[in-house]
Amino acid sequence: MNSRKLKDSILQGLIYFSAAFTIFILTVIIGFILYKGVPGINLHFLTRQWEEKTTFVRVDKVAEPKDSDKEGYVSSLDITLKKDKEGNLYISKIGSDSSLDSAVDMLGQSFKVKSDDKLSKVDSNDLSELSVADAVKMINQSQDNMRLKITRPGGGIVPMLVSTIYIILLSLVIAAPIGILSAIYLNEYAKPGKILNAIRFAIQNLAGIPSIIYGLFGMLIFVQYFGMGYSILAGALTLSIILLPTIISTTEEALKAIPQTYRESSLGLGATKLQTNYKIILPNALPGILVAIILSIGRIVGESAALMLTAGTVAQIPTAITGNEAGAATLTIKLYMLMKEEGDIATACSIAIILLALIIVLNITSKVITRRFLKKQGI
Amino acid sequence: MSNEVSKFSVQELDLYYSNFQALKKINMEIQEKEITAFIGPSGCGKSTFLKTINRMNDLVEGVKVDGKIYLDGVDIYKDIDVIKLRSRVGMVFQQPNPFPMSIYDNVAYGPRIHGIKKKSVLDEIVEKSLRQAAIWDEVKDKLKKSARAVSGGQQQRICIARTLAVEPEVILMDEPTSALDPISTLKIEDLAVELKEQYTIIIVTHNMQQASRISDKTAFFLTGEVIEYGKTEQIFNTPKNKKTEDYITGRFG
Repeated sequence: MNSRKLKDSILQGLIYFSAAFTIFILTVIIGFILYKGVPGINLHFLTRQWEEKTTFVRVDKVAEPKDSDKEGYVSSLDITLKKDKEGNLYISKIGSDSSLDSAVDMLGQSFKVKSDDKLSKVDSNDLSELSVADAVKMINQSQDNMRLKITRPGGGIVPMLVSTIYIILLSLVIAAPIGILSAIYLNEYAKPGKILNAIRFAIQNLAGIPSIIYGLFGMLIFVQYFGMGYSILAGALTLSIILLPTIISTTEEALKAIPQTYRESSLGLGATKLQTNYKIILPNALPGILVAIILSIGRIVGESAALMLTAGTVAQIPTAITGNEAGAATLTIKLYMLMKEEGDIATACSIAIILLALIIVLNITSKVITRRFLKKQGI
Repeated sequence: MSNEVSKFSVQELDLYYSNFQALKKINMEIQEKEITAFIGPSGCGKSTFLKTINRMNDLVEGVKVDGKIYLDGVDIYKDIDVIKLRSRVGMVFQQPNPFPMSIYDNVAYGPRIHGIKKKSVLDEIVEKSLRQAAIWDEVKDKLKKSARAVSGGQQQRICIARTLAVEPEVILMDEPTSALDPISTLKIEDLAVELKEQYTIIIVTHNMQQASRISDKTAFFLTGEVIEYGKTEQIFNTPKNKKTEDYITGRFG
């Protein structure tokens, strides 16, 4: 009797311990990321470019300068200057009459100077060592059509966010139609038998292949053989292959859940198979398909190995889909590069928080859709 | 013996599921504008035979059909397109199975897939079909509501309306009341009797009272064969075959 009680207590203790241990680890990881990452998250982090960018611009003086005694006000340009914590001079406010609106860069293209941009030189005079008041004086004394050195501050994740979104959209545009149509073929058209089983087996195995192998394939085929270079298209094509098994099997599950009687009654009313699929099967499978797509987005957001080998690691907003201008680092890749090459743990953790938030939102969305779907089935 | 016009003529019909022979040498004439009932124990082939009449069995893997079925003298396995056949021979299933869409859309589904788009025409067909199915008054105010939100008996009548909307000549009913309560069952039975004015109805039923109440002819199936086929009164009152008598008197089945 006693020994049984003892055994029970030990086993129960083990169970509680295991559960507590899991939660402990999760808490430690998330706590660490939050502790390191939260200080780095602010509006600038979410809205700025990653790299600082310096541009020289030419501007004329304002025709009718206004007088103002406000500290840092430059009457000849109608702007206000300030110093930031590191002692850099920056434009805190651009007045409505400012001539900076018609600034042009050295190539003669118009360049939009924004508030928050740093200002470090007028013509050949360095402003960085001067006080705000002296800098204002220096600018006001400059010749008309002066040359300014403007530095747009970096440190934000906009390029990675945009790249991630581009890759998500591109991958889904490629993978979703193919995956959904394949699932419809497998479930509605293919004759059950050995071949179908073989195809299903192949799909299941595709889902289990480590993504770096797909990355290798993508690099050899898309990046090199097709000459796409490290580009979002090469990345998206590789990801599409990775996503296909998930999309196919999740969609198939949704198709299987549709009662056979719907198909029978539709065909019994003289509908063709295509009409039945289009009007009855697809609309009913839609929630399942949506879940498949959301799971895919999660997979894309989390993918690193395959993308590193195909989409590259450049923190820029891609302006093409292949070639040099199309190389792009997603958030996950940038996180990896920050840790590996710069050891910038704080920024990496800030990116990690953004990723966690994205994944949580996606998971909640898929849960909500599934629940709605079940409710609808229950009527 | 008023209008003995043969709608279906079945000759020497055999049906195999892979190696299993489910129907054996069926010969039957089914009359127009009558109710023909198929009775028999589970697994006797009556539902299989019903599904053979509008070729729903084509959907099942490994089915092989020998013999002939003629609809108005035309071989349905050879000379009619299966899509056309199914719009002439509609079917009502065992479980009420409206599509998960509104009542209106359910009834309009058939006409729509056959290319009718005009709203006024669809409105007319929907109302007419729901009236014919004796459910118009109950649902006319909630046509836009989900067809799955009404009672089982109402769902089944909506399914009948959905079948009628395609304007078939024949309606096959596969145990249409087995999932319904007694009151709903009576409504469906009354409806069937009304509908036979215009349609040929073939009904599979487990319920022998039902067969005797509504049908003109009855066929008794056993292990894939038609044991006895004739006028309902005769089958139920003076069965010629011992097995029919045993089944009807409840000695087995």
